[in-house]
Amino acid sequence: MSNFLQYTVFGVMFGAGYAIAATGLVVTYTTSGVFNFAQGAVGMIAAFTYWQLVTAHHVPILVALLLILVVGASISGALVERVLMRRLHGASAERPVMVTLGLLVILTGFAAITWSPSTQHLVGNMVNGQFQLVGINIQYQEVLIIGVAVAVAVALRLLFYSTRTGVALRAVVDDPELLAMSGASPNRMSQYGWILGFVMAALAGVLLAPTQTTGLLIPAMTLLVVNGYAAAIVGRLKSIPVTFAAAIGIGLAENYVISYVLPHLPQSLQSLVPDIKLALPMLFLFIALVTVPSVRLRAVGRLTTMRAPRVTGGRESLVAGAAFFVLAIVVAVAFDNTAFKGTTILDLGGVVMCLGIVGLSLVLVTGYSGQISLCQFSFMGIGAFVMGKVASGGSLLGLLAATLVCAGVGALVALPTIRLRDLYLALATFAFADAVFYGFFNDTHIYGTGGVSLGRIVLPGLSFGGDRAEFLMVTAFFVLAALMVLAIRRSLFGRRLVALNDSPAAYATVGLNIGFTKVAVFAIAAGMAGLAGALYGTVQQTVGTSDFDIFPGIIFVLFVTVWSIRTVTGAFLAAVTYVVLSQVWFNGLGLFAGLGIILIGRAAGGILGIEALQFHLPWVKRPSVGVMEAPGALVGGPAVAGGETRAAG
Amino acid sequence: MPPADPSGGRTAALTVSEVSVRFGGVAALDACSLSVQPGTVTGLIGPNGAGKTTLFNVISGLQAPDRGTVELFDTDVTTMKPHRRAKLGLARTFQRLEVFGSLSAAENVQVGLESTVKWWEWRQLRRAIPWRRGPAAGGAGVPDAVAPPVGGSLATATCDRLLEGVGLGGLGARQSSAMPTGLARMVELARALAIGPKLLLLDEPGSGLDDAESTALGDLLARLAAGGMAVLLVEHDMELVMRICDTVYVLDFGDIIASGTPDQIRGDPLVQAAYLGEAAPTHEAGAGASPTGVGGSAP
Repeated sequence: MSNFLQYTVFGVMFGAGYAIAATGLVVTYTTSGVFNFAQGAVGMIAAFTYWQLVTAHHVPILVALLLILVVGASISGALVERVLMRRLHGASAERPVMVTLGLLVILTGFAAITWSPSTQHLVGNMVNGQFQLVGINIQYQEVLIIGVAVAVAVALRLLFYSTRTGVALRAVVDDPELLAMSGASPNRMSQYGWILGFVMAALAGVLLAPTQTTGLLIPAMTLLVVNGYAAAIVGRLKSIPVTFAAAIGIGLAENYVISYVLPHLPQSLQSLVPDIKLALPMLFLFIALVTVPSVRLRAVGRLTTMRAPRVTGGRESLVAGAAFFVLAIVVAVAFDNTAFKGTTILDLGGVVMCLGIVGLSLVLVTGYSGQISLCQFSFMGIGAFVMGKVASGGSLLGLLAATLVCAGVGALVALPTIRLRDLYLALATFAFADAVFYGFFNDTHIYGTGGVSLGRIVLPGLSFGGDRAEFLMVTAFFVLAALMVLAIRRSLFGRRLVALNDSPAAYATVGLNIGFTKVAVFAIAAGMAGLAGALYGTVQQTVGTSDFDIFPGIIFVLFVTVWSIRTVTGAFLAAVTYVVLSQVWFNGLGLFAGLGIILIGRAAGGILGIEALQFHLPWVKRPSVGVMEAPGALVGGPAVAGGETRAAG
Repeated sequence: MPPADPSGGRTAALTVSEVSVRFGGVAALDACSLSVQPGTVTGLIGPNGAGKTTLFNVISGLQAPDRGTVELFDTDVTTMKPHRRAKLGLARTFQRLEVFGSLSAAENVQVGLESTVKWWEWRQLRRAIPWRRGPAAGGAGVPDAVAPPVGGSLATATCDRLLEGVGLGGLGARQSSAMPTGLARMVELARALAIGPKLLLLDEPGSGLDDAESTALGDLLARLAAGGMAVLLVEHDMELVMRICDTVYVLDFGDIIASGTPDQIRGDPLVQAAYLGEAAPTHEAGAGASPTGVGGSAP
């Protein structure tokens, strides 16, 4: 009984920490319509800063808290709203998701550069000592966390429902123009929301830091408040009391599972226990997403007059593909056996092509159909694993198996998330990626510490053992994948994907099945990523857990978005950028990707979509988009097109 | 006041029975009932916020009702998904534009056309097969009323025909998101017609159109109805409603407060009260009142 009570106290304490972070998320979402993916990273930075000030520089705790919460978090929140978020008003719905992901990778990248993983960052309790209650020991730190969480919830409730500012804060997303007419500044209200969100994220990070008994770790601290995400989803991103209660419930459930369920797993599964513990937050998030009744998400706004990328014709695609392959042959001849930083140019080229295929899968699933997927690297990892297990990892059969298995897994992921869109789908794929990474890849039976060895593909009478042959083979797969993606875009299915992206409501009401289309495109894209993973395995010959980590996966999505997530060229350039920068400064990848997405701002077409940078072949016909001044007419009336009046009907 | 039965005993295209929808504490629809007969244009009018679009969403399956049933051609579709209702012959347009903005006007229509055939049929259709008429793949075929069929036409010709029919001839290559609102509404209409509907729901198709275009729209809808299609029209242009509708329902605060022929609606004091904000009189007291309030454009 005393054990149960002890676990309950732990559960409530962790739940209280999650509750603070979650209510911060709800406040930001309620006041700006943006879900801050960087909430965990803000808490992580606050925790490390607290360690820096209090443990490393012996600054008094209260002074440190003032500096972190009142100065650091407040100013950062205000700046993020002013510099990043305000200019996204009217941008496409997925853009705020991408920008907060950019902020996430910038902050984790900054932390990786600033706080070396080789140093143990231990944080002590803010208040020491403990007391006994009904036979169990309760630490004052635990009471502090619970007390602060309750105080925050009560204060927010009072703010939102008992003050003028609170009413304005709630009104700002519903109708900013109307709010402005009533004398309040929508921008200022939104800024208050971001300040509050940042302060609460930092508060959660600082309070939970001492619970990390083995020291602060960047990924663990960043993902620690992910349980806050699940609570915010249960609260439907609007109800602070429900969010608070859900966070406490999740904290309790997590502790009970760890204390009562995991120890009773069969002996053969005990090795999975540490991984399951790490995956639990994401499992809770995934469960919350697929079970909580559908929520009408607010979009910041949709861009309605963006120039759609030109649809490349079949013959043009074939010519471009052939030219690309000829260029690859020239590169293969010119750089054969050329070493570079412990590897060869052609090996790196092979990696570029593999990532290029992953980029193409993103063009299909996100660029065309508008479904945000943050788990393509997970499919890549599953593909490499399957490749390694089939026919000793060096056969076409392995490639086929990797593609089919990942397509099947992709369909399974898509099925429960059919009704989700934009932010919720991004969160679900984020949760899946994290759960697969910690619960599957990290296991010693899967990738473990040594990784999986794969061989080069050998066909009867044909070996791809050399770097040159391997590079050309992978390039051929990239070209074929690109041709397939372009052919899909030109096809009936491609039109449906774009239509689904533009208007799901209209898509359904013309008789098309949204669920089937989503599952199909997810499965195809997952299969492509699985193929890319299998090919990546044959290029690298040994792959390990770190190759398919969640953060590099997000960074790659951002690079594709920065270049253009709607074009084949964008996918290829993103792969080149990722591989080149990872060779030059791996820790800086997140900084580059994050800054890129911030600089590209609301331009939904990415760098390649910027009109001034576009290069047009003189013989290629461009789509007509020009703004039409004169409306046409219905049957029997005159219609005006291009200045020419004609009778219609 | 139940409307006179204009069906003559035929199966109603649409029967809405006692449908209620609540958003939190607000009743958007409160036990609404109406029916739409094949071959007629039925108007649904009411002030802003009356619940017209919510009712359209319930009929098309985008909003589940808390109570009540929806039947299409005697089939209960209350829990049916939107795409299955479309297969039964229901098409709609939207008050807030829902064109496929990245696609051209012709591609918008093409998506609608393609939805009525299997993907392997579409490939044949693109080559040389004349456009099938009749109830192929659940649709009623492209209506003659839009434009006369072209002998031996290909699917692309059918697209052109539909676009011509709504006044967008020659504009098929234009990206739909770059079109003015009035034209984009016609793209929506052509796309809806492309699935060969038997019941067409139009949510303010006349907004953004000038007088001549509005008249042409009315003529088109009348021809569609004459061809056997059932049309349910939400519109603030009262001249258009009163000119082409066979039956008109009036919705106010989620309630059907009146229904009948346009002439009956013009003289209904409850309707005038709803539009002009006067205290609601009884039918007896208001009988014979002047038809102001529903004779011109609604507020």
